[in-house]
Amino acid sequence: MKRAFMRRVFFTAALSVSMAAADPASAQDSASELKQAVQALRDQMKKMQSGYEGEIKRLETRLQTLEKKPETTVVQAPSSAAGETSRVDVFSKQSPIQIGLNGNLISGGSSVGNEALGNLQRGHHDPKTNGFSVSNVELFVGGTVDPYFDAQANIALQIDSEGETSIELEEAFFTTRNLPGGLQVKGGQYFTEFGRANTQHPHSWSFVDQPVVLSRLFGADGLRSQGARVSWLTPLPWFSEFTVGAQNAKGETAASFLGEEGEDIGGFELQERGGRNFSDLLWSARWLNGVDLSDTVSANLGFSGAVGPNATGSNTNTYLLGMDLYMKWQPTRSQGGFPFVAWQSEIMGRKYEALDSGDPDHKNLHDWGFYTQALWGFKPGWVAGLRLEHADGRGNNADDPFRDSRWRVSPNLTWHPTEFSKVRLQYNRDWAQHLAEKSADTVWLQLEYSLGSHFAHTF
Amino acid sequence: MKSFAFLATVLAVLAFGKPATALNVVTTTTDLAAIARAVGGEHVDVTSLTRGTRDPHYAEAKPSMIRSVFRADVLLLVGAELEIGWLPAALQAGRNAKVLPGGPGYLDLSETVPLLDVQTGAITRAMGDVHAAGNPHYWLDPLRGISMAKAVAARFARLDPAHASEYEMASKAFESAVIERMKTWRAALAPLKGKKVLQYHKSFVYLGEAFRMTLAGEVEPLPGIAPSARHLQRLIARIKAEKIGVLIMEPYYDRRGAEFLRDKTGITVVVLPHSVGASPEIKTYFDLFDGIVAAFRKAKVI
Repeated sequence: MKRAFMRRVFFTAALSVSMAAADPASAQDSASELKQAVQALRDQMKKMQSGYEGEIKRLETRLQTLEKKPETTVVQAPSSAAGETSRVDVFSKQSPIQIGLNGNLISGGSSVGNEALGNLQRGHHDPKTNGFSVSNVELFVGGTVDPYFDAQANIALQIDSEGETSIELEEAFFTTRNLPGGLQVKGGQYFTEFGRANTQHPHSWSFVDQPVVLSRLFGADGLRSQGARVSWLTPLPWFSEFTVGAQNAKGETAASFLGEEGEDIGGFELQERGGRNFSDLLWSARWLNGVDLSDTVSANLGFSGAVGPNATGSNTNTYLLGMDLYMKWQPTRSQGGFPFVAWQSEIMGRKYEALDSGDPDHKNLHDWGFYTQALWGFKPGWVAGLRLEHADGRGNNADDPFRDSRWRVSPNLTWHPTEFSKVRLQYNRDWAQHLAEKSADTVWLQLEYSLGSHFAHTF
Repeated sequence: MKSFAFLATVLAVLAFGKPATALNVVTTTTDLAAIARAVGGEHVDVTSLTRGTRDPHYAEAKPSMIRSVFRADVLLLVGAELEIGWLPAALQAGRNAKVLPGGPGYLDLSETVPLLDVQTGAITRAMGDVHAAGNPHYWLDPLRGISMAKAVAARFARLDPAHASEYEMASKAFESAVIERMKTWRAALAPLKGKKVLQYHKSFVYLGEAFRMTLAGEVEPLPGIAPSARHLQRLIARIKAEKIGVLIMEPYYDRRGAEFLRDKTGITVVVLPHSVGASPEIKTYFDLFDGIVAAFRKAKVI
């Protein structure tokens, strides 16, 4: 430091000397000029020192003005929190609720016609027509209710291939804020916490469409219903959470369970069957574990199960089991979350009791499937993805688009101009027994945008 | 029996990880962790949710973070929307009312210091990633660091009254240490005074204020948006016309744009540690500014 300082001082001195030398009027007596320069140098050093002294004094005074009262907000224990204090939303001071809208436009073309394409793309929010799709426009509202509850709602709209707009209350639930012992209760209409992909809304998908196995076991709209669940964050030395819940088993969003009357699974028509007692509810459980394997790698491993009645008989049940693994690598130096590599895989199976056990046509339908996908954020804003999927059902079902043997490979490339928009190009290569052509090639181009509040990302 | 007791102890330590008396302090950044350690000493057990090597704007609510939040007595955050992209998710999953907004252990330090760049007019996202509440990089001003330490000490004292006087003494010691070192840092950085400095992202406004630099704009065309080739061309012209000599940036940004500017204009690129932990030798809040001085010195700017 001192050397640099001296260098600067000498530079200044030399500069003044040379300037003085350039002045013809005072060039005659160079010795006296030099003396003057040295004097100037001394003066300057003194001035800097005294200036520095003043600087410290100013610093002290500035310190005093800087000292706002450290605790400007009145903080109360939540038990005594009068609504107003805790209602302050720190994440956006302007408004106590978060509100946002996600929209998308997907255009695409396939080697097969719209009818066949609709059978390959079974998700409600999947693009499924040659041409344009607006498959998901979603309104999110959420926030803190009071010291005891948070709540949120997702309202999803889409325009189907007939041009008709449909609206659905996708989720609307509360969660508790301060139960003791690591407990949390969630209640309302919500996605069943089964696996990883089921609870994700389309704007957090890494591909334009949902995995095939989810469409098969959970239906077009994911597994979700009205109910409540309790989860317990254990005191184990790693992140370990147990969740148990009960939901109504009725409706199109519980397709593997009571579902909708008149629909069929594997050729077995769903009858009218209402819930009679608690055992006619859809019960689900999940055990989720998370660890940081190193400074750069984190992982989640989850096990899920669900059991509930199905409507092919009066005493028939459906059983679901699944396992999911998510691993993410991010180097210690990263800009805006890039680069990264994320690997996500799920495997799940279903045992479906078709018709009551006394019925001569009774049988158990077994279906299973998996997907595994890797995402590589290779530079800020750019992500390359590859997904491989398989789904199959046991038995003679080559003509059933819901139970035949299927494979799909989907490479894609996504560009995020900012956190609030993305452009995605995806290619799907499908192999399906039920297809007359046996395989199909499809290209999708998606643009998605988010308006409103900045939402937080979960791992 | 002895081995059982031993096992039980090991399990208890594993499960709770600390003597029951220490305050379990969780911070969103390493800088806050450094201040908390300086103030809390042996009476606190401090964990930072993020690393000093990464961009604190971007993180994900990892399981380990959720667990830390769940076990925390105190949560210190930078605020001003810095952690908006990940902290709310960790808080919701962490289900710990003590450290939720409004809880006794929740301390948003942006409320304890005056902020710069507070937005008063209308804001749209067309302006880039603008923080309405003000610029959140205030830990880079040592004087604001003093205010932060005081606020932290006051909160520790409230939650752990038995050691209140120790926290107060520690924060006083921190204050005098900062003021003492401020003389050295100011003297070292004095050559920068009045020098035009270009910053990559608008994250050094507090550093600039503390050390009297003349900040001459940013490399990013808009906050959070990387410069395009055309924007870099415009910057070259500006750097030449306005004789801007120094470009400062965080270690985590892509350096190609800055290096391009350096090659075209001769501007000196200085990669500054932005946080405690940005490089392994920066362990304390004081190390951070020593590191900044060292970076300028290494680049021969001072």
